[in-house]
Amino acid sequence: MSSVEASKPVAKPTPVIQRVIAILWPAFLTSGVATIITFTLFDPQEISACVGGPQISRLGAYTVGFFSLWLLTTLTSVLTCYFQRPCELTNRANGS
Amino acid sequence: MSEKSDLHEPKGGMADVLYEKRVKIYPREVHGIFARLRTLGVVVLLGIFYGLPWLRWDDRQAVLLDLPARQFHLFGITFWPQDFFYLAALLIIAALSLFFFTALAGRLWCGFACPQTVWTEVFLWIERKIEGDRLRQMKLDRAPWTGRKMFIKGGKHFIWIVFSLYTGLTFVGYFTPIIELSQKLVNFSQGPWEAFWVLFYGFATYGNAGWLREQVCIYMCPYARFQGAMFDKDTLIISYDEKRGEPRGSRKRGTDYQDKGLGSCIDCSMCVQVCPTGIDIRDGLQYQCIGCAACIDVCDSVMEKMDYPKGLIRYTTEHALEGTKTHVLRPRMFVYGGMLLLVMAALLYAVTQRVPLDVDVIRDRNALYRETSEGLIENIYTIKVINKDQRDHQYHLQVSGLENIKLINRMGDFTVRSGQVLNVPIYVQIDPVDLPATSNTIQFTLVATDDANITHEEEARFIGAAVR
Repeated sequence: MSSVEASKPVAKPTPVIQRVIAILWPAFLTSGVATIITFTLFDPQEISACVGGPQISRLGAYTVGFFSLWLLTTLTSVLTCYFQRPCELTNRANGS
Repeated sequence: MSEKSDLHEPKGGMADVLYEKRVKIYPREVHGIFARLRTLGVVVLLGIFYGLPWLRWDDRQAVLLDLPARQFHLFGITFWPQDFFYLAALLIIAALSLFFFTALAGRLWCGFACPQTVWTEVFLWIERKIEGDRLRQMKLDRAPWTGRKMFIKGGKHFIWIVFSLYTGLTFVGYFTPIIELSQKLVNFSQGPWEAFWVLFYGFATYGNAGWLREQVCIYMCPYARFQGAMFDKDTLIISYDEKRGEPRGSRKRGTDYQDKGLGSCIDCSMCVQVCPTGIDIRDGLQYQCIGCAACIDVCDSVMEKMDYPKGLIRYTTEHALEGTKTHVLRPRMFVYGGMLLLVMAALLYAVTQRVPLDVDVIRDRNALYRETSEGLIENIYTIKVINKDQRDHQYHLQVSGLENIKLINRMGDFTVRSGQVLNVPIYVQIDPVDLPATSNTIQFTLVATDDANITHEEEARFIGAAVR
């Protein structure tokens, strides 16, 4: 990472903590909204009655649903951050 | 991220410092009118947050967003997932209010009402009570780890954690009955999910108010990023009066500073020391400023000591600073205000007109229609009746829409308990001579026998081979 500073004086690498926040936090917000909408439309007990599967309380289903969605949205954020990496960094990593 | 950061970065590389390695901010305690207002906000808002779940209404919790039962109880009204519209309207009202007050008076929300501010105030207060004032805190942090330091730090974190866990309990108490929840927690017999959410929310409180603090506002808050869009030159902002203050410099009390070519700012740096986000307001409006007005309070007290007029840092507008008139009544205010009133009126109307009854008509899936032995066309339906009222009701079902249409309801008038769902199987028959088309619209009307206002009409299709 330190080689970047030599070529581009203004661009400093983003610190890890800010990258972690930038990945987990937007994912948390959107998964919260998604959870509310999903479980307003669908009752988890009706889903499990139709699909079968393990018996779980509604609160448990909400929790599992929220964290599954958070995992998914986190993946999206990770990919966004990954693709945001400047091209020259990739060139450098491949070239030398 | 980096391409945007140059927009609001303060001078002096403060953002660099924060981005690279966070320097802990020790906000100095401040007294004054705005500090008192904030304390009032903390007491009122936290009082509501911690007190509301314990309030009773008609023998149950007054505010209970009962997620396990999929019912929201708000005092006398019960909302169902089908009432999602009301929640959406409520969120729109919240957003529009935020726009309105931001345009009017800047970041009032951030400085006085945001949970992040409110809980951080409490955590800072606990910290001050245990570790002492700003200088003592800094000294303690620099000191080597001794038994005394561990005792003080441990005590602080212990109280923070207890307070956070109680906050977590209160939060979960909004979603599952709090009295039973706390009884269960005392016996350690609560469900695993309740326990998880008490810990999760408690941890979030401890982390956000104890550790992250201003970083939540700077890195995590979406509102902080876009609130500038609601600002104009007539918005109240906290601003340093550069014309009056500069050139800043230290001087002895009572000296004629104008004679020495100085402005009113004595460069005591108190405004920086009290700032919870660690900025220097004298560098101009910055997006890190949460509008808490701590710098106004402290600067006024300094000006008072110096026998200078107050208000070197004050609530003002860009127009006022430029010496022109401030317009409170301006198109932006009418647009935000008008939209707000409109949505509020619509919600109020919808809630008062809300009928606590929902009906779903489900057609029998096995056959489109059948012919009875008397030669009538018969369709079969299941009527799903949801009593959303807080009382039990008896209902009477009717069918209309076609001439000589006949309803066969073997259950007769039926009772649905409060908050319950009942499936009523029914048959609808008609003489094929009276059937105008293959597919017809009919209406089912359900009326409560004890209250004619509680009624619901639901359309359905009636299918049969028409002879005409």
